[in-house]
Amino acid sequence: MNPLQRAAGSRIAAARVGIGGPVGSGKTALVERLIPALMARGVDLAIITNDLVTAEDAERIRRSGLIDPARVSAVEAGACPHTVIREDPTLNIEAADDLERRFPGVELILIESGGDNLASTFSRDLTDFWMFVIDVGGGDDIPRKRGPGVIRCDTLVINKTDLAPYVGVDLERMRQQALAVRDNRPVLLTNCRKGEGIDAVVSAIERDVLFRA
Amino acid sequence: MLRLHGVLGHESDTLYHARLHALEHHDGIELLFVPSEEAGRKRFRLATDRGTDCAVSLARGEELVDGALLYIDEEKAIVARFGRQRVWRLRPAHAAAALKLGWNAGNLHWRVRFEEDCLAILLDGPLAGYRARIAHLLDAGDIVELADV
Ligand SMILES: Nc1nc2c(ncn2[C@@H]2O[C@H](COP(=O)(O)OP(=O)(O)OP(=O)(O)O)[C@@H](O)[C@H]2O)c(=O)[nH]1
Ligand SMILES: [Mg+2]
Repeated sequence: MNPLQRAAGSRIAAARVGIGGPVGSGKTALVERLIPALMARGVDLAIITNDLVTAEDAERIRRSGLIDPARVSAVEAGACPHTVIREDPTLNIEAADDLERRFPGVELILIESGGDNLASTFSRDLTDFWMFVIDVGGGDDIPRKRGPGVIRCDTLVINKTDLAPYVGVDLERMRQQALAVRDNRPVLLTNCRKGEGIDAVVSAIERDVLFRA
Repeated sequence: MLRLHGVLGHESDTLYHARLHALEHHDGIELLFVPSEEAGRKRFRLATDRGTDCAVSLARGEELVDGALLYIDEEKAIVARFGRQRVWRLRPAHAAAALKLGWNAGNLHWRVRFEEDCLAILLDGPLAGYRARIAHLLDAGDIVELADV
């Protein structure tokens, strides 16, 4: 590292990664898959969930036994889930700052947004990188609708690939359409039920967010 | 990968002036072009115009500006350059069209500026994505696109 920069001595804050997407697309399921996969690679991790009026997702993750429950914080988003990740992310920023204070070595904070619609995006003040999770159940037309979440996120995750045959979705076509509307920015396929495709998500985080390789 | 943390200063700082000037003479200044829509990021990975792979992070309170000095040693310096903010200007053909355009822009959370009788949209992504959302208004002639982006 540049000696001048080392002299500056400012501690490098934890990277903050947002996970957004429509209701029920599998955001919490993805978090539950990412926790053990990231921990296996030695990543010091904490989680923030956003729910409408409860802390259901936080409770679910705390009870999962995957991670120290104290490392899981809940933000109550109220009726408008996108507001707390975009227009006024102060509650989430406070929650992330608090996790960094309590766990000084934390490298990565995953922030799951409340289930929303295709328009939800994360503020750059809150996240360094964000993923948008859709599922095949919405049909292979979803990318063509060009929702801001689908287009602007850093990585688009198409989840529930196992359901493709049952909903008549051609996965490769859906992936190609997603790549086309995203100018070839990353699109990954996952099956969070079985844990398929999770490695590629972890690799993307390691390379683009944690700068490990 | 060159791991860079924090902004050292600005290319115009007197503190760095002589060193940057010297580096300039043997082609030692590398530019890191940051797309304007990425400028708010606190962490990103981008290659300079000379191909140096830079992994950059900033402190939470720090802001990247055009001309920010990110790295300097005896051989080279790395300076951030912002791309131009792309702006898409639209003029509604009549009052009803203006209402519809305003409603759409608000609903889609576009970043906008009001300029007299047109709406200036600050683009954060590919234009085609924006155009598709109001294609019906454009096709019907309710809204006219002014200049190119
Ligand atoms: N078949 C299948 N089901 C999945 C997959 N991922 C998640 N699910 C199921 O989809 C449902 C919703 O998953 P969640 O992880 O709760 O979705 P979410 O996006 O967190 O939902 P909200 O937070 O309520 O918006 C659950 O019943 C999951 O078991 C998958 O890859 N395949
Ligand atoms: Mg959830």
